[in-house]
Order: sequence, then structure tokens, then C-alpha cells
Amino acid sequence: MSGKISRQILLYGIVCLAILAVPLLVDNAFLLNKYARYLIFGMLAIALSLSWGYAGILNLGQAMTFGLGSYCMAMFLKLKTVPIHTGSDGLPDFMVWNNVTELPWIWVPFQSMPFALLAGMLVPALFAALLGWFMFGGRVAGVYAAIITLAAMVVVNLIIIDQQSYTGGFNGITDLAQFDILGLAFDAYSASTYYLVAVCLTVTLFVALVVSRSKTGLILQAVRDQEERVRFFGYDVALYKTFIFALSAAIAGLAGMLYTIVMEFASPTFLGVPLSLSIVIWVAVGGRQSLLGAMLGAMLVTGVQGALSETEAFLETWTLVMGGLFVLIVLFMPKGLAGAVEALLRRIPGGERKGDARPAARQGSKSQPHLGGAL
Amino acid sequence: MTPAREQLLALRQVTVSFQGFVAVDRLDLAVASGELRCLIGPNGAGKSTTLDLICGKSRTTSGEIAFRGAPIHALKEFRIARTGIGRKFQVPSVFRELTVRENLEIGCSRGPGVWRNLFRFSGGADTERLERLAVLVGLEDHLETQAAQLSHGQTQWLEIALILAQDPVLILMDEPTAGMTAHETSMTAALFNRLRGRHTLVVVEHDMGFVRDIAETISVMHQGRLLAQGTADEISQDAKVREAYLGSGGIGHA
Repeated sequence: MSGKISRQILLYGIVCLAILAVPLLVDNAFLLNKYARYLIFGMLAIALSLSWGYAGILNLGQAMTFGLGSYCMAMFLKLKTVPIHTGSDGLPDFMVWNNVTELPWIWVPFQSMPFALLAGMLVPALFAALLGWFMFGGRVAGVYAAIITLAAMVVVNLIIIDQQSYTGGFNGITDLAQFDILGLAFDAYSASTYYLVAVCLTVTLFVALVVSRSKTGLILQAVRDQEERVRFFGYDVALYKTFIFALSAAIAGLAGMLYTIVMEFASPTFLGVPLSLSIVIWVAVGGRQSLLGAMLGAMLVTGVQGALSETEAFLETWTLVMGGLFVLIVLFMPKGLAGAVEALLRRIPGGERKGDARPAARQGSKSQPHLGGAL
Repeated sequence: MTPAREQLLALRQVTVSFQGFVAVDRLDLAVASGELRCLIGPNGAGKSTTLDLICGKSRTTSGEIAFRGAPIHALKEFRIARTGIGRKFQVPSVFRELTVRENLEIGCSRGPGVWRNLFRFSGGADTERLERLAVLVGLEDHLETQAAQLSHGQTQWLEIALILAQDPVLILMDEPTAGMTAHETSMTAALFNRLRGRHTLVVVEHDMGFVRDIAETISVMHQGRLLAQGTADEISQDAKVREAYLGSGGIGHA
């Protein structure tokens, strides 16, 4: 058991090191910016894997929490530009255009960086906790929960678009200052920003790994399996689900903050249905019950998507190709690529067969290195 | 009822109706601490529903259920479980996607909080107890086996082990020997006789041989009511009980 865990930590560590090493090989600011975006999508996939893969909560509105985090960062970076991009009153430019005369109360605390950084994770987490408390306390589950998450996202999206004078409306919040912390500046097109994202991704991946390996993670898997049964052991199922839902939201919020730094703006499309459903596809392709699988799935899908859409031969048809690949994977690999790789490794002689009870086989497999179950 | 022992569980005038169908009708039942009580009755007598009411799976329409002197019928399921009540279901319900060891870890539910369990990992303080339980139910060679791959009898044993891991004061067992071989049934009877005294058990069972092996007091239910109560011999002599069972071929085959 412990051998299996250390192999898993090793594998996760190697992947993270490889990600951190990319700027040593790539010396192209444009590419690094693109790769940083893929890493952020990987974080989103980890967030969804925690709630969908481990606890069985299909969150179709994951982009809501992503967008909220993104707006928190954008508000902070916008206020840093004051008064360069503004009129005389020290207001963000779009507020001046909308005849706002005084900084709205909701913007005031975002002048402080610690507040903005905390809010970027806590605001999404609180939103999710509130929504989760109502859903899970009321025993809403399955498809109904998925629809509620989707609806909640659409509502928040509409409010942001509607409240143009406070949020920039359709245009979002643009012309942002550069993010800097402790004397380090993070230009969106630089290795330093890539490192910032990569470090956040690594920390996120390992925090998620610890949670999934803890007893809380185990109980959540039991909830996914047989929610009703878990209650009769004395576990507060609604609280457990709310917790993982909020943690997932906090991770998505962090990803959203980083996305604002990398993209240099925040937009209502960040809380859009297309992005939100894309996350589900990435995680399904990578394997929802594997954090690493989901993360790599996101990078793979968005990477291939980027490559195809930039290749002349597929300019017109790349969405069709992506759709076809997705259908094939869901049909033939219900546990995603991670599940397929694990099944493959188990077939190799010496690989551990999950559930094999023969003591001889177990002893035999202990001495041989294999990655079964490590994903 | 038994003045020598403290009363642990008391149902007073408990009634439940499902859209007009009265499944349990003004039921009075008292179980003393340390007792092993068998609940029998023809199909549809309300036995399983009674267990559902005690553990909170169904809600009483009227009446009161008291456990250790405090009313529990309005509490949420997990709160009832935390007062010390464990339940084994009729259809064995274990976590099929998890291993036997992981199942047992979930059974050890003394610290049920989210925060506390974030800092607990496999191989922690419960390991020894958990492995002893696996030996007790004969699953020590299957700790890393996925529960979905166990035989029916083994699944029943695993669920019994889960309840023991939970270590409740009162254990509610719904047909624990269903689907077991004669040998497995007699092993279960031996186990129950060992649990007697340490735990209080309420067992719903159809197998009269098994009931005779374990029961001190038998409560017979019929059409949602308590029909008779007494030792196995008293029950089988009882005219009302014989009449209730006539339709299903006599008590021996019930």
C-alpha cells in the first residue's frame, strides 16, 4: 500500500518537474504564454476531478468560480493603473464612461493586494459553499445538481454583463497593470509568469493528492459509490460534499486569478458555457478519477486543439476532428486515458492486478516496479 | 420490561403511513441494554420498516422513539448514527468500488468530522483494529480486494464487519443470513452470541433455526403491530402467531 503511494508521489513529482523545466528548453515568450494557459486549464481539470471524479458531483458551472477568481484579480490590477488610464477622479476608465462618480463600495477593498489575493479564492469558495449547502442539504444530486450548477453560472454571467458600470459589462476589464509581488514583476509574456503558474499548479496538484488520499477523500469516494449508506455511519454527507465543492471552487478561483495575469484581461466569456463544458470534456478524456490524468487531459486536449486550429489543413474542420476524438474516447475508454493506461500496465506481467487476492501474486508484484494505480 | 436491565430503546405508539398505507401501526416495543432481540413476522409485517424508523431512513408519522432516554425520531440520519446506532441493510450495501480495507476504514467512524479526516491517512491508528475485524469475519486475505469481487456471503460478512468497525451501542440487523450457506449461517449465529452483552442487537430474520440459536426474546409483528412476545417456545405455542402464519405455511417455514 505505502509502496503504491510512494510510486504515485514519484510519478506526480516527475511530471511537475518536467513542467517546471519547460522554460529551459523553450525560449519563446509567445509559446510560454500559451503553455501557461494550458497549465491553468490543467488546474481547472484538477478542480473538477476532485468534485466529479472523487465525490460524483458533476459541476457544469466550474467556469463560474474560475471567472469570479479572474474578476477579483482584474479588479485589483485595474485599480493599480489608477489614475493612468482614468479621468481626474481616480476611477477605472470604463466607470468614467458610464458616468460613475465614486468608486463603488465593492471595489474599494480591492485596492489591497492581500485582500484581492484572498478574495480570488475565498469569494468563489463562498459562492460554491452557499450553493452546495442548499443543494446537498436539500439532497439534490446527479443530473439535477449538474443543471443547478450550470444555471447558477449563467445567472452570475448575466449579472456581470448587466452591471456594466461596475464590471465593464461585455467588454470585461481590460488595460490592466502588471502583477508584481515582493519586487518580482510578472510580464504575461515571460518565463517568470510561466514559473508562477507552474508552481501554483504543482502546489495545487499535491494539495489535491493529499486530500484525495486522506480519509475525507475516501469518504467522498464512498459517497460517490453509495451516498445513502454513508449517512448511517454517522458522516454528515452534505457537509463533506459542500467541503469538496468549495475546495474545488477555490482551486478554480486561483486558476482564474492566474488566467487574468496571463491573458491581461478578464471577460464574461471566462464564465461562459463553452469553457465550462470544455472542462468536463478535458476531464472525461484524461480520466476523472485520476488527478494527474485529468490535468494532462486538459493540457493534451487544449494543446491538440491549438495545434489543429493553427494547421492549415484543419482550419475548417478542427472542431469536427476534436468532437470525433472525444466521442471515440468516451465510447471506448470510460475511465479516460488514465484508466486505459492503468489497464494496459496491469496487463504487463508483474503488474499488479487490482483486487488480486492470491498472496503469491501480491508478493511477486511487490518487488517489481510498476505503475498500476499510480496515476 | 426487564427491570434488571436498563431500558435502551423504546418505541411508543409509533405509526408510519406511506400515502395512506399504514406500514407500522401504534407499535410499542422496548429493548433492554445488552439484549439480543429477534423481530419476526410474515412478509409485509413492518419489520424492516421498524428498523428504518429507528435509524432514520423513514420518518414516523406519529409516536416517539427514544434511545438512551432521549427522543431520536426527529434527528437526521447521521445524528442518529452518532448516538450509537448502526444498521445492516437487507440488500448488502458495501462500497463496491473500494477495497475491503477501505470499506473497513469508512466503518471506523468514531471521528466523523471533515477537518479531522483531512489529516488521517490509510495505515493510521485504526489499522490494527481493522485487521482484527477482517480476521473475525474471515476476510484477512482479501483486504486489498475490491469489494465488488467478493462472493455474496463474503459481502454479507463485510457489511457485518463494517457495523462492528462502527462499534455502535445498538446494532440493527436486517436479514443478516440471507443468501448464506448453512455453514456460514451457523458461523453468524456463533458471532452474534459473542456480541451479546457487549452490544444490543435487534435482528430481523426469517430463518427460524437461526432465530432459535440466538434469540432470548422474540417479538412477532403482524400487519404493523406487535402480535406476541416471548421465548421461542412460547411464541411457537401462541395461537395468534399460528393464525398469522397460516397463510405462509406455518412458522417453521416463514
